[in-house]
Amino acid sequence: MINELQQLGKDALAELKDAKTLDQFQNIRTKYLGRKGLLTGILRNIAKVSDDEKPLFGKLCNELKNSLNANIDEALQKHADLKNQQDLFNDKIDVTLPGNAIKCGRIHPVIQVRQEICSIFASYGFSIVEGPEIELDYYNFEALNIPQDHPARDMQDTFYIEDNVVLRTHTSPVQVRIMEKIQPPLRILSPGKVYRRDSDVSHTPMFHQIEGLLVDQGVNFGDLKGILASFLKKIFGESTVLRFRPSFFPFTEPSAEVDIRCVMCGGKGCRVCGQSGWLEILGSGMVDPAVFKNVNYDSEKYSGFAFGLGLERIAMLKYGISDIRLFFENDIRFLKQF
Amino acid sequence: MLVSLKWLKDYVDVQLAADDISHKLTMAGLEVEEIKNIEPQFSHVVVGRILSVRNHPVADRLLLCEVTDGSQTYNVVCGAKNIAAGDIVPLAKVGAVIPGGYTIKSSVIQGEKSDGMLCSESELEIGDDESGIMHLPADLTPGMPLETALDIGDTVLDVNVTPNRSDCLNMIGIAREVAALTGKKMKPPAVKVKESSEDINALTSVNIIDSDLCPRYTARMIKKVKVGPSPVWLKIRLEAAGMRTINNIVDATNFVMLEMGQPLHAFDFRFLEKEKIIVRKSRDQEEFTSLDGKSRILPAETLLICDGIKPVAIGGIMGGLNSEVKEDTETILLESAYFNPPSIRRSARKLGMSTDAAFRFERGIDPEGVVNALNRAAQLIADLSGGTVGKNYIDEYPNKIPVVRDIPLRIDRIRELIGIEITAKEVVKILRDIGMNLKQNGKGAYLVTPPTCRVDISREIDLIEEVIRLYGYDRVPSNMPDVFITEMEDIPRLKLEEKIRKAMIGNGYTEIVNYSFGTPVAADMLCLRENDERRRSVKITNPLGEDLSVMRTTMIYGLLDTAKRNTNNGCFDLKMFEMGRVFLKRAKGELPEERNMIAGLATGKISDDLWNAGKNVDFYHLKGCLENIFFDLKIDHCKYIPENTESFLHPGKSCAIMMNDKRIGFLGEIHPDVMERIDFKNNVYVFEINMDYLPDKYADKKIIYQEISKFPAVMRDAAFVVSVDLEADRMLNVILEENEDLLENVYVFDVYKGKGIPEGTKSLGLRFSYRASSRTLTDSEVSSIHEKLLQKIIEVTGSKIRA
Ligand SMILES: [Zn+2]
Repeated sequence: MINELQQLGKDALAELKDAKTLDQFQNIRTKYLGRKGLLTGILRNIAKVSDDEKPLFGKLCNELKNSLNANIDEALQKHADLKNQQDLFNDKIDVTLPGNAIKCGRIHPVIQVRQEICSIFASYGFSIVEGPEIELDYYNFEALNIPQDHPARDMQDTFYIEDNVVLRTHTSPVQVRIMEKIQPPLRILSPGKVYRRDSDVSHTPMFHQIEGLLVDQGVNFGDLKGILASFLKKIFGESTVLRFRPSFFPFTEPSAEVDIRCVMCGGKGCRVCGQSGWLEILGSGMVDPAVFKNVNYDSEKYSGFAFGLGLERIAMLKYGISDIRLFFENDIRFLKQF
Repeated sequence: MLVSLKWLKDYVDVQLAADDISHKLTMAGLEVEEIKNIEPQFSHVVVGRILSVRNHPVADRLLLCEVTDGSQTYNVVCGAKNIAAGDIVPLAKVGAVIPGGYTIKSSVIQGEKSDGMLCSESELEIGDDESGIMHLPADLTPGMPLETALDIGDTVLDVNVTPNRSDCLNMIGIAREVAALTGKKMKPPAVKVKESSEDINALTSVNIIDSDLCPRYTARMIKKVKVGPSPVWLKIRLEAAGMRTINNIVDATNFVMLEMGQPLHAFDFRFLEKEKIIVRKSRDQEEFTSLDGKSRILPAETLLICDGIKPVAIGGIMGGLNSEVKEDTETILLESAYFNPPSIRRSARKLGMSTDAAFRFERGIDPEGVVNALNRAAQLIADLSGGTVGKNYIDEYPNKIPVVRDIPLRIDRIRELIGIEITAKEVVKILRDIGMNLKQNGKGAYLVTPPTCRVDISREIDLIEEVIRLYGYDRVPSNMPDVFITEMEDIPRLKLEEKIRKAMIGNGYTEIVNYSFGTPVAADMLCLRENDERRRSVKITNPLGEDLSVMRTTMIYGLLDTAKRNTNNGCFDLKMFEMGRVFLKRAKGELPEERNMIAGLATGKISDDLWNAGKNVDFYHLKGCLENIFFDLKIDHCKYIPENTESFLHPGKSCAIMMNDKRIGFLGEIHPDVMERIDFKNNVYVFEINMDYLPDKYADKKIIYQEISKFPAVMRDAAFVVSVDLEADRMLNVILEENEDLLENVYVFDVYKGKGIPEGTKSLGLRFSYRASSRTLTDSEVSSIHEKLLQKIIEVTGSKIRA
């Protein structure tokens, strides 16, 4: 009898496994557990079991009944879940259609570069300052040690408003205006538009510059190298190779041009770097004592450094843009890429 | 400055490769921008000697020559007539390649065999001369490859000389640097003049009237010169330096200028009337024709070199046509002078003449090198032209040109300012290597006298720069200075700008940057009224073009122009904004006013590529965008007041934006007339706000949390039929002025015009929300307040409840 019982259990589970529809599940339940079911039938024959085996037989019958019930319940639940899922799936949408929230606008690429640079220098303790874009010749040139009739004026082709009023050719005059008002220590950054009388693939009559100035006691050329190297590595990556080489700016001495290993060719030489393997990125130098004299700073007590860079140039290198004029044509198809 | 390495080696024995020299110069502040290789443009051309010349039997413009290369004799048919037996000439043998890629072949010309070609200078691209066969020096051995015989082939460095380094605008200056950088010795050319017995002082005189502009004028006389072409070696030097050859006299002066940096000028003495030189400023309206053949009215204060009667040169800039060296010139008066640098610069700019001489004079030449260069050039002219140099030279030197001596230098100061541990010994060596004279001046201090050619050095800092430049920037250790907090704050407006920028981006607007200058017709295109302050524009005196000649006074025109260009490109759905300045003229003597503006433009669809949308932007879209910004800036007291002041806006669809009774900007649709002028089809909406009027400390307004009521709100709707002119704000204000405690909110939920309501009226649907913070309102309580408010509206505005 016990063997018969066990065989019954195996048969029931096998049938359950093959069952797929709701009807089949119900039939299995009736076939085995119903009032006229097979298990019920065996139970009715309990009298034929010896007294010794009766307790065990009863226990096994119960177990089988419970287990069959549980298995059928589980199978039914699974079946129901599957059906729900199927119904939901049939109610599907095309997820590949584009999203239709209003598309965000884009920030102008040059402004993005400005934001990035300003936030790096903010972390070095630099504050942002501003000044007029239409500037006195004095602030744009004279105070920066570029006298009238000096060949250094050739370095910047100037737009004039009046004899002594110009469109600023760099943002350095802001530094002079600030130094006139504030005593060191000083860490300032002046971003803004500047103007030079020039127009071709690599020059526009207006472009953006950022200039920085740090003045304190004991500032030296090593500090200039340290800050500018840190900055350039943040902008162009930690592995950026740079070099400082002597140059000339009337308002700094010693002056340094800072080059980075060409980001396009890695130094092998290409069209972008003019085969030199290096890209000029920024001009810098220790503030010339003549400038300090003009703002009544004592150059024996204080020293400092200044630097300046063109934002379009950085953006061109970052994004692989070869024509600077694109920045000011404001073609929406260009601007949407950034 | 083009530096031939072969020429450089005349003055310094440098064996380094061009790349290495370039690197050293670049890292010492003389940036080499390009390395050019000069190679002969021919091959298999040799030195030949003409054995015989006879006429071609048939063609009388041809000659038949026998030419030898030392081992073989060739028959060559030649078209030029300037040859004779015994001449040494370039012979392109069969198989030779000449410029242009032509290969010489054996041929028969008019029945005569020709096994080669005799070449002119220009055919070999050695020089410009194409008048006949090139004549080579008689001492060249036939058979030698021509490039070896003439020493053709060179490497030329294009050095970017910064405006302070006038001493490096010549070969000796560059050689001095190279010597210092490589540890080699300089070999300056030995200058010795073989003088005749005829004293220059007996033949001519120099009188400087304006010595402030010409502190020193020296001259020599060279007689019995024969003007002719320069020898090949000289031509090769000048070509490498990028200078055209003219004749042996002019070429000699140019050579010495390139070698020593002293510009020189050779006059044909026979044209100097009264046999004298007078140096003076130009007279009023004085006219002069310079060597380039151009005649000009000279600006005031132009320095002139004159003879006893008339000007013969613009001092330091260009010689005159009237005293130019000609083919039959026999006597040369050679000038070597020092001119006042700023004066040369002013004159050269006014005249628009940027000559090699002016370029050097305005940067400052070596005041003590004037005579040396005079002597060098005089002897060279004599050597090249067979002339003789007269005895003595004139040296009018009325104004001593100041030279700097004994500049104090402290070793400690170098260490402090640069951040290196350099020894005094190193400093002394570096400075001596570039020709400085040092005297000890106490412990760790020196008095330094630079060579007179270093006109850029007058202060201690100039010396420090020299030391560090040659010590090497790369040897200076980097240091990261400590960050300290300064008292200074960023400009508050910048934070505001960033907030606005973010809000604009979020609303779908893309940032543009236009030029700050534009066309003067913008004001007319926008129909600005005659008294509009935006007509007070600032003009650029030297613009790049008329369309970029005035500073903008509003950003609207730039936005419209940009929109127009984008629609031309097929982009019709545009939302753009710009932040920047506009400029307004102020009283004379004052800098113009600069205002920080934000302006935006929208046209076309709200979103350009939505597959299930299609609604166009309108006034309310742009207004909503501004409301978002103001909400973000915590500015809650902005008002939009209808007005009709902006002539370029639609009078019925525009308004002023007011803040605290101050007009901070405007918003509206572009006027149809303006749209027609700029030929724009779609409606365009714009706004412009002066950001300087926005409160600096926008974030100062504290947010105070309002407890959210636990009790439900009761909503009541009501629609009013009102005159179309009645503004929604007016309706709402009537309600708000009642200050009803239990009225939580009221807003417009519907606006309707058209069918079902009378002409000239509109229906305004208002939704009222009532709530108490501490209890649930009863229906009757709400009804009584609501009725009261409706009555008030009807009473004040004369509107009717819509059935
Ligand atoms: Zn490259």
